[in-house]
Amino acid sequence: MDAKTENSIRQEQLESFGRLMAGFSHDMKNHLGIIRESNGLMDDIIAMGGCGEDETSVERLRKSISAIERRVGIAANMFHHLSGFAHRPDTPYSSFQLNDLLTEECVFLERFSRLRQIDVTLEHEKGLAAIYNDPALLQHVVYRLYLLSLDQLKSGHSLIIITGQNEKNAEIIFRLVGASQVSLEQLPANHLLPAINKLEGILKIGEVTEDHTDLTLTIPSLPLAE
Amino acid sequence: MTNAKLLIIDDEVEFASTLCQRLQLRGFEVTDVHSGGEGLAILSTIEPEIVILDLKMPDMSGLDVLEGIKNHNQSIEVIMLTGHGSSASGIEAMEKGAFDYLMKPIDLKELLEKINSADENRSKA
Repeated sequence: MDAKTENSIRQEQLESFGRLMAGFSHDMKNHLGIIRESNGLMDDIIAMGGCGEDETSVERLRKSISAIERRVGIAANMFHHLSGFAHRPDTPYSSFQLNDLLTEECVFLERFSRLRQIDVTLEHEKGLAAIYNDPALLQHVVYRLYLLSLDQLKSGHSLIIITGQNEKNAEIIFRLVGASQVSLEQLPANHLLPAINKLEGILKIGEVTEDHTDLTLTIPSLPLAE
Repeated sequence: MTNAKLLIIDDEVEFASTLCQRLQLRGFEVTDVHSGGEGLAILSTIEPEIVILDLKMPDMSGLDVLEGIKNHNQSIEVIMLTGHGSSASGIEAMEKGAFDYLMKPIDLKELLEKINSADENRSKA
């Protein structure tokens, strides 16, 4: 099979997977909707005195209702981002807001850092211009760089992901706080270069201090397709 | 609080009937049906003032139902419910005449605010 056909099959596979995930996420939101409304109805009934005067039971029920509501809120937010994430491969090239793209992805990345006890924060520069590029491919590169960054850090260290703009290019800085003197050679990032090249981006080591090392990914806004 | 007459059209029976009960407990006159076709058929019987309409249903799309509602009576305000990940589908519905939209799972407080605004909008017209 030639490389072009193989690439096209992979693209279709990715799109199918995205559509399946989007459908799944849509259904899950419906289930959450039913859980939230049923929970809300119980709360309404309690508020109307439907559980009698037993204050201890009322208090316990209210506590459970509030826990269910809180978890539904978290799950709904995750599925909301999953829908967006799953739809990204629908249009290989499109205009997108870098901050939205990273917020969407970081919802899923958070657990990797939590398990390693590494604190991750996202620092958005406000008012960034939208860029035209391949958002699904950029999310793939960000995911890999995120994992590579975590590999350089230890429990108690932190990773700060900073967005910015450099002329017409979008910039993502992975600030590895606690890791100094990291070189590109140390990072097994070579396998990412074809993807970064496809984005027409550049990966380099930015600011290095005793306290931290910056890994900087610069992504241009490509000319709009005819 | 408004006392507008409401119609819920959503194919998720449990969701529609539970939401219906919660709105009834707040004093609204509410009917729920579970398909687009049923929703359009019942319009002339109950003459709702505000319709809460799911965007995606098996028998017909929410956008087609929206068009049918507006053809029946232009003054009925429609609040769309969408399970999509982006606001694009809600915005498209508003361009086609919906008053507003909410993402699923909905927040009842937010829905009540939108019902109030929709009713105020109706009164002004």
